Amino acid sequence: MVKRQPSITTENFTAVQLMELDACSRCGECVNWCPTYDASGQNPGLAPRDKILRWAEFMKKSYGLRARLFGPKQIPLEELEQFKNDVYGCTTCGMCATVCESAINTVELWESMRANLVKSGIGPFGKQGMFLKLIGEYKNPYMADNKDRINWFPADIKVEEQAEVLYFGGCTAELRQRKLALATARVLNKLGIKFTMLGEDEICCGSALIRTGQYFINDTAKINAQKNVDNIKAKGAKIVLYACAGCYRASLIDWPRLTGKELPFKVVHVTEFLQDLIKKGEIKWEKSIDKKVTYHDPCHLGRHVGVFEPPRAVLEAIPGIQFIEMERIKENQRCCGAGGGVKAGIPDLALGVASTRVEDALATSADILSSACPFCKRNLSDGRDAIGAKELEVEDVIVLVAEAMGIDLSDTPAE
Amino acid sequence: MDYFSGISDALRVTFVQMMILSIIAIGIFIVGMYINFKKWSMGSTGYGQAPSKSIWAFPKMLMYQMSQHAHVHNQSVLETIVLDILFQRRILRRSKIRWFMHITIFIGWMTLFAMSGAMFFVEMTHMIGERIGFAETLPWFMSPEVFRELLAVPNDVFSYILLIGVVIAIYRRLFVAKARESTIAYDSILIIGLAVITISGFIADGIRTGRFWGFGIDYAYAPPAALFHVVISLLFCIAYIPFSKYIHILAIPFTLLANKGGE
Repeated sequence: MVKRQPSITTENFTAVQLMELDACSRCGECVNWCPTYDASGQNPGLAPRDKILRWAEFMKKSYGLRARLFGPKQIPLEELEQFKNDVYGCTTCGMCATVCESAINTVELWESMRANLVKSGIGPFGKQGMFLKLIGEYKNPYMADNKDRINWFPADIKVEEQAEVLYFGGCTAELRQRKLALATARVLNKLGIKFTMLGEDEICCGSALIRTGQYFINDTAKINAQKNVDNIKAKGAKIVLYACAGCYRASLIDWPRLTGKELPFKVVHVTEFLQDLIKKGEIKWEKSIDKKVTYHDPCHLGRHVGVFEPPRAVLEAIPGIQFIEMERIKENQRCCGAGGGVKAGIPDLALGVASTRVEDALATSADILSSACPFCKRNLSDGRDAIGAKELEVEDVIVLVAEAMGIDLSDTPAE
Repeated sequence: MDYFSGISDALRVTFVQMMILSIIAIGIFIVGMYINFKKWSMGSTGYGQAPSKSIWAFPKMLMYQMSQHAHVHNQSVLETIVLDILFQRRILRRSKIRWFMHITIFIGWMTLFAMSGAMFFVEMTHMIGERIGFAETLPWFMSPEVFRELLAVPNDVFSYILLIGVVIAIYRRLFVAKARESTIAYDSILIIGLAVITISGFIADGIRTGRFWGFGIDYAYAPPAALFHVVISLLFCIAYIPFSKYIHILAIPFTLLANKGGE
């Protein structure tokens, strides 16, 4: 008689992650704070606690005492399919990890579950399956010609061939939200910072593949990370600037992990770079922005890596800005809803989360809701439009900096 | 001389039989933990690496994570042990009442466990001393009767501390709607086990001493009551840990250490 095989494997989980499944005390804090659980109308399947319990049960059925004595208990495919739907209904914002009383690294746990499901042919979710093909073929997820990354820069932008500072623009800013890339380049030019860029040699940072559990397929994410590192090195860069929180997080945490090596350069978010210049008194403001501004912490910049103060310091330094905080900020910030592949896979859910975050901003009576990530800007703008809050401007910190430095961005090409 | 709080001869349960029961409980615990370690070690020893086949994968990955630099807060092992494992500040940050509930259970449980261990050590030392002939050279407090008396007050204090925590836990699960609605058997067994151990301990002690918790029950029932308390404690406190939610007693400290106190 053929011995039954377990319905799940332990592929893509670390030994510590499998232990973490047993560390959940089911206190329910994660459920209280989860933005997608909330935006879904409290769908119990999306509750982080429930996902941990279900995978722990799967493990027990497959590898527990009973399974060892009498063989594994089969898990119906529909149950695994449902689990997939639920585990992909997460923006990987990390709020559950912040409030977890047991300190479970939930974000990485969800990503491992996703990778495991992809490996077993159940994941990813919907359109997310296109990421691999698009990034493999186009080097970006937008099906754009990679030559178009910076060839649209107006003639006044000076990008060096080689420099100690490199600006890693990222797919979204270079190919979609070009105002942000233009603002960053012009701010650096105006500050007299000699910088270089990868241009058509830049490849997607891999965030989309990693967050959706597809990083290991054909080693695409690893190969791309290594190529980016090599190309950055070839440009002579010692400092790499990022204005995209997703790229920043991927470079800082995921690239060393994927390539197995420390990065040969320093990873710096543009707000950290500007904060330093402000402290040295090297930024001359030319315009006052007489508006109330609030700031949304991107999950990948804040909770994931702890950059909370620099964007605030930059905003507070801009003349005229009246800076006000929303109720949920920094470690307790509410996600914009775009991350973890949710924007691509479950846009309605992403919009629901964004609308709630926009309401947080409206409660402060701010004129501008700022952030430091093009992806957050996109989804928060969509959320604002969805609830018809036309009076609220959504803008990136770097664009506000450019404006206050008297930089004209009116020649930004349309998306 | 009676050992194990005088439950030996009256129930025809000898000291040896109690020792066998203890060893069985410890044996079940070890087998259960072996299964858990095997299960955990089916993961890899690095992100994106192939699953391991060695039972050492778990300790290896744990040590690896503990040695890595954390991006958000890179606190020391000592800080994690003192503030996160012992003081449980992550719970305090989220809910004062839940922290109070858990810390009273934790302090009560661990101290009573430690005192039971100390009592066992004194009894064993004394018994061996009587057999070999060094019992009379032992310090005065190493006499089981004296040591039991010395522990009487702290036993009472920490039992009440534990009881407070258990009562809050039961109240929450019964009367706080959010906690009640999310309670499943996995949670209930933990609390029921804890409650039975605590209350049976009070009753056994009350019958033996004739105090309130004895409810006027005849002293003759003291040995079986004590036996029940000991057996159920051994089963729940040791043997059942690897197979139930009690595993969090070990898994949470491991998680806190692996993630340097968490985000």
